[in-house]
Amino acid sequence: MTTHKPQPPERPAGALVRPFLSGASDDVEDHVDLPVPDGAALRPFLLTAGRVAGRRSIAIETQVVTTESGWTAADRLGFERRDIVSLCGNPLSVAEIAAQLSMHLGVVRVLVGDLSADGHLSVYLPNADASTDVDTLLRVIRGLRAIG
Amino acid sequence: MVSAQSAEVGGPTRRRPPLPVKLVIAGGFGVGKTTTVGSISEISPLTTEADMTAASAGIDDVSKVPGKRTTTVAMDFGCITIDESLKLYLFGTPGQDRFGFMWDDLAIGAIGALVIVDSRRLDDCYPAVDYFERLGLPFVVAVNRFDGAVAHDLPSIRWALAIDEGIPLITFDARDKLSVRDALLVVLDQALAKARAAQSRA
Repeated sequence: MTTHKPQPPERPAGALVRPFLSGASDDVEDHVDLPVPDGAALRPFLLTAGRVAGRRSIAIETQVVTTESGWTAADRLGFERRDIVSLCGNPLSVAEIAAQLSMHLGVVRVLVGDLSADGHLSVYLPNADASTDVDTLLRVIRGLRAIG
Repeated sequence: MVSAQSAEVGGPTRRRPPLPVKLVIAGGFGVGKTTTVGSISEISPLTTEADMTAASAGIDDVSKVPGKRTTTVAMDFGCITIDESLKLYLFGTPGQDRFGFMWDDLAIGAIGALVIVDSRRLDDCYPAVDYFERLGLPFVVAVNRFDGAVAHDLPSIRWALAIDEGIPLITFDARDKLSVRDALLVVLDQALAKARAAQSRA
């Protein structure tokens, strides 16, 4: 029976000190620039506890309003949740929340879903048939014509 | 608490939200989508960032692509209050093709779409035209008159884009509020015709 003893990798001549220990990174040809974080100090997944899916059913035009329970709870909520609750005294769309708080749409979906589950927000899912409803379309047409 | 728009559920709210309807403003990069939204929106166009890992969950699995960093995409939008119970949102699609994954978010449930074309770069609008054709969403192709000029006449543009005779092809000025309003009204006419046809079949 032959034992295959793992051979130590051959040491390249002259590379006894690893590049990162040498402190002379300028000499290293394949020096890699680490990506500079772009703006946001917090990664989106930290705000959502790692969840990315959110409620797909929360369309970007979905209207959101803070409930009485939301106002009561506002001081106890974490930063982003509190921001959302404070912002939605008047109805706002999910897209407007994302824009005004400079938060990613996906993050807003997740947080709005949470806050709504806790009763802090009323979420009015858009009526799926509105866009093909003759009366609604006629109202939009009248409204646009009134723009002068 | 999640409630349907038609039913009030879950205690008192401060004010009843308006019914939101949306219209998509599409087209290639730099054709004037943001200008169009800004000309008619009652708020200055807002920008929302959507994160690819969130927006495309289940479609693009970024975690399986080594070294793939999160893509961030910006989307401009505005709104018009039609009356106190109806609000029209205008969503501009992100310009680049590679952000196509966002389009379902914008287009599903939309009234229709305005596809903006720069007559000097016609091929930029192919993805939008293809997409709305496949989705069956009413749309209108609108040539933005940059400096009052259109590089080709409309029949040539229609031929080049291979769009059906039934699809309106118009020119408009993205900087002019009334011109934008009229272009949106053409989209509404398309949507209304389709809705009436569906209603008479039912």
